Amino acid sequence: MTDPLLAADDVSVRFGGIVALDAVDLAVPERSIVGLVGPNGAGKTTLFGVLSGLQHPGRGRVRLAGIDVTRATPQRRARLGLARTFQRLELFTELTVRQHLVVARRVREGRDRSLLRDAAGLGRRPSPGEDAAVDGLLELLELRDVASLPVSMIPLGTGRIVELARALATEPRVVLLDEPTSGLDVHETRQVGAALRTARSERGVAFVLVEHDVELVLELCDDVTVLDFGRVIAHGPPASIRADAAVQAAYLGTPTDGAVTR
Amino acid sequence: MPGYVLAGLVLGSIYAVSALGLVLTYSSSRVVNFAHGVTAYAVAVFYHWLNHEQGWSILPSAAVSLLVFAPALGLFLWAVLFRRLTHAPPTTRFLATVGLWVALPAAVRLVFPFSQGEINAPQGLAKLPASVFHLSALDVSINANQIAVLAGAVVVVVGMTALLRATPIGLATRASVDSPRSAEVSGINTTLVTAGSWMVGTALAGLAGILLTPILGLADLEFTLLLVVSLAAAVVGRLTSLPLTFAGALVIGLILGISVDFLPAHGVLTTGFRPSVPFVVMLLCLLLYQGLGRERFEVDLRAGPVEREVPAPPPPRGWRAAVGPGIVAVALFSVPLWLNGFWIGVVSQGVALAVLFLTFTIVTGEGGMLSLVQATLAGIGGLITAALATHSSIFGWQVPNPFSSSVGWPLGPAILAGALVAVPVGLLVASLSLRLGDVYLALATLAFALLVEQLVFARHEFDQFGAGIQLGRPMLLGIDFNDRTSFFLLLAAVFCVVALVAVNLRRATTGLVLAAMRSSEQAAATTGVSVVRAKLLAFAASSFVAGLGGALFAITIGRASPNSFNVLIGIVWLAIVATWGVRSVVGALVAGLLFAVVPQLVAEHLPASWADVPTLLFGLGAIGLAREPRGIIFTVVNATRRARGGRGTLALTQPPVR
Repeated sequence: MTDPLLAADDVSVRFGGIVALDAVDLAVPERSIVGLVGPNGAGKTTLFGVLSGLQHPGRGRVRLAGIDVTRATPQRRARLGLARTFQRLELFTELTVRQHLVVARRVREGRDRSLLRDAAGLGRRPSPGEDAAVDGLLELLELRDVASLPVSMIPLGTGRIVELARALATEPRVVLLDEPTSGLDVHETRQVGAALRTARSERGVAFVLVEHDVELVLELCDDVTVLDFGRVIAHGPPASIRADAAVQAAYLGTPTDGAVTR
Repeated sequence: MPGYVLAGLVLGSIYAVSALGLVLTYSSSRVVNFAHGVTAYAVAVFYHWLNHEQGWSILPSAAVSLLVFAPALGLFLWAVLFRRLTHAPPTTRFLATVGLWVALPAAVRLVFPFSQGEINAPQGLAKLPASVFHLSALDVSINANQIAVLAGAVVVVVGMTALLRATPIGLATRASVDSPRSAEVSGINTTLVTAGSWMVGTALAGLAGILLTPILGLADLEFTLLLVVSLAAAVVGRLTSLPLTFAGALVIGLILGISVDFLPAHGVLTTGFRPSVPFVVMLLCLLLYQGLGRERFEVDLRAGPVEREVPAPPPPRGWRAAVGPGIVAVALFSVPLWLNGFWIGVVSQGVALAVLFLTFTIVTGEGGMLSLVQATLAGIGGLITAALATHSSIFGWQVPNPFSSSVGWPLGPAILAGALVAVPVGLLVASLSLRLGDVYLALATLAFALLVEQLVFARHEFDQFGAGIQLGRPMLLGIDFNDRTSFFLLLAAVFCVVALVAVNLRRATTGLVLAAMRSSEQAAATTGVSVVRAKLLAFAASSFVAGLGGALFAITIGRASPNSFNVLIGIVWLAIVATWGVRSVVGALVAGLLFAVVPQLVAEHLPASWADVPTLLFGLGAIGLAREPRGIIFTVVNATRRARGGRGTLALTQPPVR
């Protein structure tokens, strides 16, 4: 197997006496969708923190695009092609939906470093291709109607989609999605699923998906890792996860009539 | 036991009592009360009024001050202000308490005119002259004041412990502090608990104030220091732990007390040492707590609900965008046509201040950082400019003069140098404080500002017995700006250029990035924004503007004096800027003009005893932010745009989609 795009090797995190992550491995190949499931408190969000650079692991390493980024800042990882969304929305409350995508894209282009140009009043113009790219994303995620609204005015579900759009606007190679469909209705959930597939096929983006909607995970993912109490208790393709007894005990509950319940 | 250990213990006990009050009020309402020091001052003045002016004896004066006046003051302030702040954004919380910090002493001086003058040997809780006892067991002399302080501290500790540990009220308080929401659903009246904690907190501040006056006098600086030490002790206790806070305050007091014996009686080292102790303690704690890998301070402080408000209509585009600024610019440049020479001078001060005030627009308005060091940076700009222009020497180091053969630098390069020197100082503060969220940044910058004031500004080369360094008007690019009108036009032009740059930055990518960072540093960082770089840049730009404005202000008033740039003036500046809009360059202009013009008008038309009225108004304005955090300019502009409606504005009736 070739070197994965994003990998966590033997990652451990402790908070005081609590072991949040215990020797966790995760590998995300290019263009893959990897599921990360587990009950609340299993360490999923902590692992996202470690991967995105907001949390330093006590032990272990993180590699991104072949580079060891264990000690790298979040913005360095972002510039290497890692983006993420947050379980508790972290939107830029004063900006409109469209501005979220614009700022993400311009940071990607390095325009946040053109201070003198901005001071001289030349920084308001969109970059070449910016309008088309932003419009394309708004279209893909059906955000056109709310594009000019400040995010403080949009509902929670739309906010999650804006976070996804912002992540995609950085032209990432891999996106970490922390419960992207929680609070979304059926239509929106389908829309997010479709957008992930499109982003993968058209832009070659890989995804790591933390999700409680188990059906969505099993349907969408190439590979699933199950965490419980900070440990990997199962890992494999969706079919084998569905059948795994330990997983069912820890997380999925008992299957009845072929339907999986929580 | 040597006497200075006892002195330190006494000082520490006073600080501890005050710090307990600060932590108590913070715990119950999540508001760090920057007016804590001046509440202590208010109660101390009230006590002095009863005890000295009204001739009451000590016990009834103390009882009425601490059991009636202080709780009533606390309740009043909670009802009209702090209650609204718990759920306000951090910047609003901060600015509103700064407003109180400005307004309260002014109100006190208006209500109790005797406090305008110097108060000689104020009496504490012990009769003066204090009787002295010798404790042979410890081999130390102790006076009645010191006994009163130690007794007061013991009563407070025992009382608080008993109250919190052994009574239903204490249980309710602890529950409310841990989780207001769970406490509420379990039937605890959290409103009552919060109100009560403000009453007790204010009484504790008052007790500290009364105990402090016989030792250090009824003076502004001592109460600022009381605030800073209380804050530092509160940081030791992570703003939540009462025992740790108490211990922290005791240790700081002991260090200060013991140091008296080792430092020379006078000199910069001694005056500089005192404010540096809380600063160093605070920094050490912040580093230590992070080193232990404990929680980040920001997390706790940002836990408030997300700001949800009706958005402003978008600004007009095209030629319409130029109408408003155009009118302001025309009005500004036409000032010499309709004012006489004296008032041109006054308005010039206002415009120079407006340039200076843009530093707040950049660092707090755009950068979202709460800084109390900007006035100090302005002072550095002004003093360095003046020092270079008069004798080309700083800290006794002779700076070469490449520009002319005379001793002093020409003013143009001197102004630029002053502004540039402010930048590394600003960056130093910023880098020390990068990892601190909101109020901790305000704390660290406040402590740093006091440090610079006592260590640098107090030096004779700058202070010149309070007179400062004289400055003339400049000659720039071959143009002589010596007469009032041409200098005014120069100031107006500088303001317009700096304001334009600030607006350009806001509307460009830089502005988007800063707006992103203000809302969520985490999301900004994971989107690829270098938060550290953005903060440092904002600080650097604001320091340059502060230095520039400080230099121009000093030239306008004819001298660069440390007194023009002290911490307390800095908070008045911040309060008035915030009132008119900390995000608005027009707000900065209006604030500057009012700060210069209003006191002049009051001095001309009202009796001298009203001198504190402008300050009171400026403070009350900032307190009003609890209602509209974006300031008066924003409210006015927004209302006009709404009233005009339709054209080019977003239809606000549009329902949220799905």
